[in-house]
Amino acid sequence: MPNRERSLSSADVGHPAGPTADDLLPLVARGDEHAFERLYDVVSGSVFGLIRRVLRDQAQSEEVFQEVMLEVWRTATRFDPGRGSANTWIMTLTHRRAVDRVRSAQAASHREEHAARLDPARPFDEVSEQVSGRFEQRQVRRCLSFLTDLQRESVLLAYYQGYSYPEVASLLGLPLGTVKTRMRDGLIRLRDCMGVTG
Amino acid sequence: MRTTSVDLHTLTGAYAVNALSDTERTAFETHLARCESCATEVAELAATATRLGAAVDFPPPPHLRARVLAAAAETRQLSPHTPRLPRTRGWGRAGGLLAAACLVAVAFVAVQGTQSDRDQLAQLSSQYSRFSDLLSTPDARLVSASGPNGSTATAVVSVSRNELLFVSKDMPAPPADHVYQLWLIDADGPHSAGLLAPPSAPLVATGLSNARKVAITVEPQGGSQVPTGDALMEIALA
Ligand SMILES: [Zn+2]
Repeated sequence: MPNRERSLSSADVGHPAGPTADDLLPLVARGDEHAFERLYDVVSGSVFGLIRRVLRDQAQSEEVFQEVMLEVWRTATRFDPGRGSANTWIMTLTHRRAVDRVRSAQAASHREEHAARLDPARPFDEVSEQVSGRFEQRQVRRCLSFLTDLQRESVLLAYYQGYSYPEVASLLGLPLGTVKTRMRDGLIRLRDCMGVTG
Repeated sequence: MRTTSVDLHTLTGAYAVNALSDTERTAFETHLARCESCATEVAELAATATRLGAAVDFPPPPHLRARVLAAAAETRQLSPHTPRLPRTRGWGRAGGLLAAACLVAVAFVAVQGTQSDRDQLAQLSSQYSRFSDLLSTPDARLVSASGPNGSTATAVVSVSRNELLFVSKDMPAPPADHVYQLWLIDADGPHSAGLLAPPSAPLVATGLSNARKVAITVEPQGGSQVPTGDALMEIALA
């Protein structure tokens, strides 16, 4: 996590006991720039990592990253804690913007080529490679291994590659209806394995 | 042309990983606003997807930090949502749903831009509640297809209500003095379901009976009794 120490006060020592995104986002909503600085340090690695994973291109990733972080600042007032965690809110926004970029006209020309080169097994391999021993990464990896191949590929192609479900269907040679159920079944299995409650 | 047919309630997974097209997403969001079980499941699956995102974390280049913070300092934040008073706008309750980026509302805006007559607005407004009711019926199914020039069409079909809602997006303007007409096609052949004027106007068709598909044709101004042109777009309902 870059620069984390820059904005840590004594109260933050001993992360993860430091302020979480859930603590900070409501402060950000009130225009607290210092809270935004701390929120940046808490979430920027996840936000940038996901964008980079979906877009691949470094320059585009940096651009979308800045847009997303600014959108978090601008729209923090609309965050409703009753509908989910701050992390989920931020990462949902992040994924949406990354996928928007993938689907925009600029990216269109590269898509065919990209799809042709794609090995569906790759997303999982890359997750596996990047596992650095952190608990949450080990857990994601372990839980992914409980999915059927089709569930895992459907979920990961959509989430990490930004493919629509018809695109996933054509890559995997499956009927559309099958892909959409695999996505749901796969995520439900992951949810249960990770003990996510929403 | 590609047609997809799905049960709205099973779209939670595809929605949580952003795998739906724009039209499907907005239709599903309208459904979400009314369907408690889907809303709960989406919240859980979005939280699950968030774990996948966090698993690939990677630090951004350090110089972006100061840039983002400086940009934030110069950016005004959105005002928070406040409860909307009813009927503060011509749209009544449709106004509140516009904020939810509802597909149908988007189509209405397009219509509003071309029609100023108050009666028509009132009529559209009452049609609007039929749309949102239809979207929330338990057996509502979402069917979509792609058409010419990147246009898309989405139909929400409810057998129990014997109704179908049709909305198209990005349809090119019909030739001069012509209009798009929607047809319900059953074993007896095509039956007119109405005119799409303007092309993006949403349409509710009743009397689905045994219709197997809907189709759009280009017809002379005022529409035809039976289709005279080829189908530009067809959506299988089964
Ligand atoms: Zn539902």
